[in-house]
Amino acid sequence: MLMASATLLAFYGLLSFSGDSFQWDVLKDPYLLSILRFTLLQSCLSALLSVLLAWPVALALLHLPDSRQKLWFLSLCVLCFVLPTLVLITGIVALLGQSGVLTPLMGEQWNIYGLSGILLAHVYLNMPFAARSIYLRLAAIPAGNWRLLQQLKLSRWQQFRYLEWPAARSATWITLGFVMVLCFNSFAVVLALGGGPKSTTFEVAIYQALKYDFNIPEALVLSWIQLIVAGGLYLVVSACGQVSWLGQEIKSRLYLPKPDRKNSIFYRATYGLAWLFLLAPLLALIPKTQGVWSNGAYWLKLIPPLATSLLLALMSTLLSVTMAYAVLQPYRRALRTRSNAAIWLDGLASHTLVVPAMVLSVGLFVFCLPRIDIDYWGFTLVFLVNALVSVPYALTQLKPALASYDQQYWPIIQTLKLGFRQRAYAEWKFIRPVLLTAASFVSVLVMGDVAIYSIFGNQDFVTLPWLIYGYASTYRIAEAAVASLLLLGISIILVLTLERQRARYA
Amino acid sequence: MLRVSELKIQRPPQNFHYDFQINSGEIAAIQGVSGVGKSTLLECLAGFIQPVAGEIYWNDLDLLSLEPRQRPVSMLFQEHNLFEHLSVYDNLRLALGKNADRDIQIAAKALNVQEHLAKLPVALSGGQRQRIALIRTLLRPEPLILLDEPFSELDDSTRFTATAWTREQARSRHKTMLVVTHQAEDVTRLTDRVINII
Repeated sequence: MLMASATLLAFYGLLSFSGDSFQWDVLKDPYLLSILRFTLLQSCLSALLSVLLAWPVALALLHLPDSRQKLWFLSLCVLCFVLPTLVLITGIVALLGQSGVLTPLMGEQWNIYGLSGILLAHVYLNMPFAARSIYLRLAAIPAGNWRLLQQLKLSRWQQFRYLEWPAARSATWITLGFVMVLCFNSFAVVLALGGGPKSTTFEVAIYQALKYDFNIPEALVLSWIQLIVAGGLYLVVSACGQVSWLGQEIKSRLYLPKPDRKNSIFYRATYGLAWLFLLAPLLALIPKTQGVWSNGAYWLKLIPPLATSLLLALMSTLLSVTMAYAVLQPYRRALRTRSNAAIWLDGLASHTLVVPAMVLSVGLFVFCLPRIDIDYWGFTLVFLVNALVSVPYALTQLKPALASYDQQYWPIIQTLKLGFRQRAYAEWKFIRPVLLTAASFVSVLVMGDVAIYSIFGNQDFVTLPWLIYGYASTYRIAEAAVASLLLLGISIILVLTLERQRARYA
Repeated sequence: MLRVSELKIQRPPQNFHYDFQINSGEIAAIQGVSGVGKSTLLECLAGFIQPVAGEIYWNDLDLLSLEPRQRPVSMLFQEHNLFEHLSVYDNLRLALGKNADRDIQIAAKALNVQEHLAKLPVALSGGQRQRIALIRTLLRPEPLILLDEPFSELDDSTRFTATAWTREQARSRHKTMLVVTHQAEDVTRLTDRVINII
């Protein structure tokens, strides 16, 4: 009810602003069409590049022998996908910006700001996610199929055509659509690397209309377009299936043909390049930090944003995970009684996935504007909206675990007639690691939030990503790099917690 | 007395019909070919399946009007009998209460699983898990015990011990028991009569 109410309030906000009518004229504006064109172009290109590059990486992961490094690489894939975007942006600027380490190699025409920078960042964030989801499908190919393949003496191309592609085809298309939605909703990357009105997406245009021009009617129209296109795309993609990328590798693969020498070299080269591509922007931060580590005044300025981000992450995570657990209760009841209500309860619990965080924030902002002092309530609103939009991510972890718990143990619980405390004890023991995984996942997302903060935040409580954005946009790369490394360190701890818990209880 | 009258269960494409009585304290084997509805009957008695017609009475108590947790029934399932994330000991204490430690120790010793109480179920063999589940089911206070293939994973020697222990417990605790089993030896050693389902 709480979640649905917040969304309804946001929609109420999106529908009206103190009686002002919508500026539908803006639809005829060539600027709007250029935004639509660029948003679609960059999201399509980002998705295509991410998935195309993910395939060789997934094949390399499949055919190279299992090793500890491979597990680290898979964890790195998770880290890259959930990495606070400002950390990556600082890394990319340190690597390929005006005074970047690799910039001299890029030629005189090179400019990180614009489509090239946006594509690079989007591929970095999404290629590992795509590689992991394709790899998980490939790893699930039964050993018998590989044996049959060897018996039939099929060529490498036939192996791909008849075995690998069919196994991961649906995952490829769904991932492509999902990455497109993510890039359509991209905010921080475009804000920091867009470089001007030529490379603006809807989210950035909404932000500018709301916070710079204070043109609320225009922001509302842009929000509706963003909602219709991004929400529609998401619904189409999710109707086609779900992407499994956080699952565990199937470890009991009994047989896999050894690749020949040529293919083996290709896999090793691809794997090495993928490591290099993913580590380069993160490692590029280190040399840029010289002279800042010993600056006491800098660290004093860093502590309040760090504390704010940690507090926000803690509060939003607690609320988000609690809400996710609570909204699952009627769903579980419906599932146990095989009621059709399970379907719509599931949809209701995850409905905020359809509404981009920026659109939800704008709706709530417009709703709150005439009613409360947004600057005064800024922290609370950032915390609440972050918790709200994170609920579906917590649900992705909790829902399958609780459904499996009920399926497996509900008959015993009933026949043993366990009381509330006994049921709570058994369930707590089972769900504790899953709760920790969900909490780590949500925390890392909240820690990296820029979009929601950009709408409700103010100078009274600057977060760590916003501080990094402030440094990066004023070319204070050294300060941005140190803050980014700090945020990266926290993200690594959270991702490792997430990975360890899932591996232990997979 | 357990009275099952004109009971009809639909599990498309099959329909099952049952009609029988068991006296209090009696141990009955349910027998029949695979797919005839033996487990379905136990699940219906425990309250996990609703029949489309008929009656089930335990003495004067109408079982069909009760939820599974309200029925005077303790059941051993074919699988998923133990919480995999709790130790064997926690599993038993959860079901039998904190004051059952002595009974647990005695039963575990009788069934030769006393060394496994501190382990997680995943560390146990199928036969050991079955014996733990058997202890838990038999030591519960409910008067009506339903066992679905309780000895299927036991070797001959352990099966002999387990059937003897089960019979002894049922007698001393005045349990009425229905056992689904395919083994003729179990029927001879354990039960008073056989109900054949056709």
